[in-house]
Amino acid sequence: MAATNFSAASRSGIVARALVLPAALLLLWVLLDALGALKGGIVVSPSQVFGTAYEGFADGSLPGAALATLLRALTGWAIGALAGLVFGLILGLSGIARNLFDPSISSLRQIALFAWIPLLSAWLGNGEAMKITLIALGAFFPMALGTQAGCQNVPAPFREVGRVLELDRRATITAIIVPAALPSILVGLELSLNIAWLGTFGAEYLIGTGYINGMGDGLGAYLAAAREYARMDQVLLGVLFLALIGLGLDRLVLGFSRRLVSWRTP
Amino acid sequence: MADALTLSRPAARDAGAVAILGVSKTFHVENRTVHALDDVSLAIASGEFISIVGPSGCGKSTLLRFLAGLDRPDGGRITVDGEVVDRPSLKRGIVFQDHRLLPWLNVEENVALSLRSLAGAPADKKERVQSLIDLVGLTGFEKALPHELSGGMSQRAAIARGLAPRPPLLLLDEPLGALDSLTRSYLQDELLAIREREKSTVVMVTHDVEEAIYLSDRVVVMEPRPGRIAAIFDITSRRPRHRDDPDFVATRRKITDLLATR
Ligand SMILES: Nc1ncnc2c1ncn2[C@@H]1O[C@H](COP(=O)(O)OP(=O)(O)OP(=O)(O)O)[C@@H](O)[C@H]1O
Ligand SMILES: [Mg+2]
Repeated sequence: MAATNFSAASRSGIVARALVLPAALLLLWVLLDALGALKGGIVVSPSQVFGTAYEGFADGSLPGAALATLLRALTGWAIGALAGLVFGLILGLSGIARNLFDPSISSLRQIALFAWIPLLSAWLGNGEAMKITLIALGAFFPMALGTQAGCQNVPAPFREVGRVLELDRRATITAIIVPAALPSILVGLELSLNIAWLGTFGAEYLIGTGYINGMGDGLGAYLAAAREYARMDQVLLGVLFLALIGLGLDRLVLGFSRRLVSWRTP
Repeated sequence: MADALTLSRPAARDAGAVAILGVSKTFHVENRTVHALDDVSLAIASGEFISIVGPSGCGKSTLLRFLAGLDRPDGGRITVDGEVVDRPSLKRGIVFQDHRLLPWLNVEENVALSLRSLAGAPADKKERVQSLIDLVGLTGFEKALPHELSGGMSQRAAIARGLAPRPPLLLLDEPLGALDSLTRSYLQDELLAIREREKSTVVMVTHDVEEAIYLSDRVVVMEPRPGRIAAIFDITSRRPRHRDDPDFVATRRKITDLLATR
């Protein structure tokens, strides 16, 4: 969050440096394979993974799984983050609401995300509604927390500006509190996306059993099936996809955040 | 409160008269106590230009915050036009020592915010905002964000914001401190002109004794620990004043001598 405006040159430099480690690992992998060190079965060869990826794209199963996961994650994230924003604003702006809800929210927040699975599946079954609810729940808390904290921690000097200009409640909220809280709200947004993405994989992997009984789809189910059939090539591929899409989403939100708070001193 | 002000008409005459009566304030920070103000009394007539000078920490900003209604004294009372000051009002405009522009609003929006609670057509407000931006010499920087401004430019934008609602009482906390000498003397004359035009009362904190004598009807010298008024100097010479007038030089000498002993 702190570092903003990199110049194009230094940014490409940063990207290049970030690629050093993955490239080195890839090289090592190819080398080991060429030397014949990967014959055991637990570690597969690069060409095998490449072939599986090719097949996966040819029959559409891989992009299909990735898309299903992405859609699920974005849906759950949107619902959870929006609810978190609304709740966070209410808690951050109203002392009464805070007294009413804060203790409950703080306790619920202590429950690990996947500990909700038994309860939610009892209520909602093991279908889509349950998965989305779980993802939304994961996204909700960081967003609510970030928003609430941002609203409560508006620096006193800014509040005083609102007071001496006799701004009414509405103008104080829109011109002072929400803009001042925005950096914290955006941190909540980034975190909630992160949790939603992890939660999506967990929901797909843990709920329903993937391809085996045809109950699930997405990268989580893809991975569950791959493990079941001991397909290391598919496991690697699935993990790679999860990482890359997750990274892409993260960068997207980060770029969006930076643009929104460009008024911050670099 | 806010609707008593209007966008274009000069504020009513005889407004902005201040009575400060036996005001005291003690701050308690952890196990330290700071006696910031002790029994400060001062009556300021409507339309008067008062400067407050004194060493750092003698309670100048604290007193100004009381006048603005941002804080309340422990003892004593402050009235403006007969009303006890118990909360901030657009009738008492303050320009803070730190400029306090909102970093997410550009210059124009920052100034316009001070007119948000006033009645008036948007077009009139826009015109008023522009005329103030022109006055403080920030024409061309309407869309600049505070972090793109220099310290002096931020200070000028803050002055524009403070002046925009035409408050009958103008409270200025070292408003010209960050400015180069040319801009500074230009804005000093503008302040006098505004005071003349709008019949406003001005209370200005400054570290610059010359500035205080040049502008004020009275210069209040404060001393610290506890913060109190050491002396008040009437400046009766006619304006425009010149820094090398014998009167001017003599008064400056008295004030700097007094400050040196505190
Ligand atoms: N909110 C506060 N909490 C604790 N102490 C304070 C507070 N505000 C002011 N003080 C103390 O009161 C004294 C007077 O402060 P004030 O800001 O009024 O000084 P000042 O005359 O404006 O100084 P300067 O010329 O440096 O701006 C100082 O000793 C300061 O430490
Ligand atoms: Mg001060």
